[in-house]
Amino acid sequence: MQEIESTFKDISVSIPEDTKLIITAKKEDLLSILRFLQDKGYNHLALISCVDWIEEKEFELVYIITSYLEENEYTGREKINIILKTKINRENPQFITAIPVFENAEPYEREIHELFGINFKGHPRLTPLFLEREYKIPPFRKDFDTREYVKEFFNKIPFVDEKK
Amino acid sequence: MDRNDIKKWLKEPAKMGHKYSLAAVYFCTGCGIIEVPPVITSRWDAERFGVTAVATPRQANLFLITGYVSVKTLKAIIRTYEQMPDPKFTVGFGSCPINGGMYWDSYNTIKHLDKYIPIDGWIAGCMPRPEAIFIAVTHLWTLIDKDMATGYIKYREKYKYYRANQEKVLGELEWPPLYPIEKNE
Repeated sequence: MQEIESTFKDISVSIPEDTKLIITAKKEDLLSILRFLQDKGYNHLALISCVDWIEEKEFELVYIITSYLEENEYTGREKINIILKTKINRENPQFITAIPVFENAEPYEREIHELFGINFKGHPRLTPLFLEREYKIPPFRKDFDTREYVKEFFNKIPFVDEKK
Repeated sequence: MDRNDIKKWLKEPAKMGHKYSLAAVYFCTGCGIIEVPPVITSRWDAERFGVTAVATPRQANLFLITGYVSVKTLKAIIRTYEQMPDPKFTVGFGSCPINGGMYWDSYNTIKHLDKYIPIDGWIAGCMPRPEAIFIAVTHLWTLIDKDMATGYIKYREKYKYYRANQEKVLGELEWPPLYPIEKNE
């Protein structure tokens, strides 16, 4: 922990539990922090997720990093989850892809692109992953009104029995 | 065999055959499929009612839709349904296919399944007990006896409207229409 604090400026590190380490970083530093952690033995990207802070007009990307080592390679300090948070602008959501560091970031970034509309630069294929339809607003954003959408779309489809 | 049924068997052997050998297609949607393994295995033993599970839709004539239907699943459901040979019976299982259930205000689940394919019977509940499947099966027998389980005929007659609804949700469909659609109406 001290190592990472001395290596990078402008980050805040906190330890809420014994097995958790939360790093809040600026978006420019994120890839180098990921690479730094990977070199330290945290070689597994467990999840990328996204939080929509609509009042602050920001998206928060959350990277969860753990380590999968052989049993004899553990030195004791690797058995923690590192939660790496960064905030990006909500108006024009752009970010760089983490694929050069962790290859398994690809499906997570596709999912976030689909559900939040964040554009990851350098991602080889940002094609739809789950959804079959196109939405005007990506459906996981806070300003997407699902109830309105259901009324506008699904309830307008007629029952077949009513047509003679 | 019931002696009173002999007359029916001699009169309409095909219908009685369909009625007592319902082959359900292995198709899982949503959470309701968790009720099906105890139903087809020894705990509730669906084979007492002649219901077996078959691997492909080409051999099946009963379609249990066992939970919420997302837009992507709807595509698979339509494909499966269209592959099944006539006569085919569909049963919506659980409250989600009926009107959306607890997923009513979701952006990606369809609400009324009978807008897209015809449904012969519904089982309400979230989740229904396995016994409810047998109640549904016996109801379906009565419907078949009285020639009321005619969803597949309705599908043929009103295919134009069903296809229109399907295309509204899924966009352009990749497969050609199952029945010819008259354009001049």
